[in-house]
Amino acid sequence: MVAVAALEYDAELMLRVKNGDSASFALLLEKYRLPVIHFLYRMVQNHGISEELGQEVFLRVYRSRGTYEPTAKFTTWLFRIATHLALNWLRDGKNEKGQERLDDDSGESRSHDVADRKPTVEHSLVQQSRLNEVRRAVASLPEKQRAAVLMHKYEEMEYTQIAAVLNCSESAVKSLLFRAYETLRARLAHMA
Amino acid sequence: MRCPIETQDNAEVLLSYSARRLNPESTAILEAHMEVCPQCREFRDGQRTLWEALDQWEARPISADFNRRLYRKIEEQEQLGWLERIFGAGRPMFLRPALPLAATACIVLVAGLMIDSPGRVAAPVAENPQVREVEQVERTLEDMEMLRQFNLVSAPVTEEGEGARSM
Repeated sequence: MVAVAALEYDAELMLRVKNGDSASFALLLEKYRLPVIHFLYRMVQNHGISEELGQEVFLRVYRSRGTYEPTAKFTTWLFRIATHLALNWLRDGKNEKGQERLDDDSGESRSHDVADRKPTVEHSLVQQSRLNEVRRAVASLPEKQRAAVLMHKYEEMEYTQIAAVLNCSESAVKSLLFRAYETLRARLAHMA
Repeated sequence: MRCPIETQDNAEVLLSYSARRLNPESTAILEAHMEVCPQCREFRDGQRTLWEALDQWEARPISADFNRRLYRKIEEQEQLGWLERIFGAGRPMFLRPALPLAATACIVLVAGLMIDSPGRVAAPVAENPQVREVEQVERTLEDMEMLRQFNLVSAPVTEEGEGARSM
């Protein structure tokens, strides 16, 4: 009883899913759909692929409901699945999909009104160019460093949780992050 | 305070500070150190620039039909799961290779019966009973041969299974 009371809310929801409560699954999906897909998007840098992988993540969560045990934080488990899928995708299809990945969202900031004035177009192009630089810099990181940076920067996860997701020690995560940020600082220093 | 740049263990303090996740007490100590440490100031400025650059990278919105597609997949999986439970999970492992053969044998048997049946109906009543007996024996022998072949395929595995059970 004490253990159940101490359970985090997400794990509790997942246990309800295990007991056949599909409304709890809908709650978890609503809560984590965005973070998971955004993480996947920044990992693979392709919108379509990130959604496909996101579907697979939640499909696996649902499929595993019967065997789910709240041994770790729900988000650790969730991001472990997401990271695993993203890393597999990158390893399997890096060469043939590499170009598509980086070019996929070249029109990301097309929403600007180009019929306006010249400075807007220029500004938009500069923004786009800077954004592409950021994406290329992140994409150039080794896979584990990339995953660590994305979880740390965008998902605001703690070192211990990132370590649990990547299945390594906390000190290894700190070292990964330190090296990754060092590389990124060097590559993007001119953007100051 | 020992310089975080020089001590690898303290490097996380700088990262946490840049991410604005350092507690107020440690923040005050680090900021005091930065006043006298150009290396740490340089790190802080570089990390700040990097943070701002990374902030520009916003993820795109998710497709409106994401949930619908997911639930459709789940539904498909559920249906597959039921089929698997009916035809897959309950089926003992040793029977799995023999089942396609058994199914083929059944189809051949049924087809044989269907082909034979009109013949029997159309057969003249005055036909020689000895010929009919020979045909029946031939058919029976064919059926037995088919069953024997089926048993040959499944028999060694079944014995093994029984052996394991008796142990």
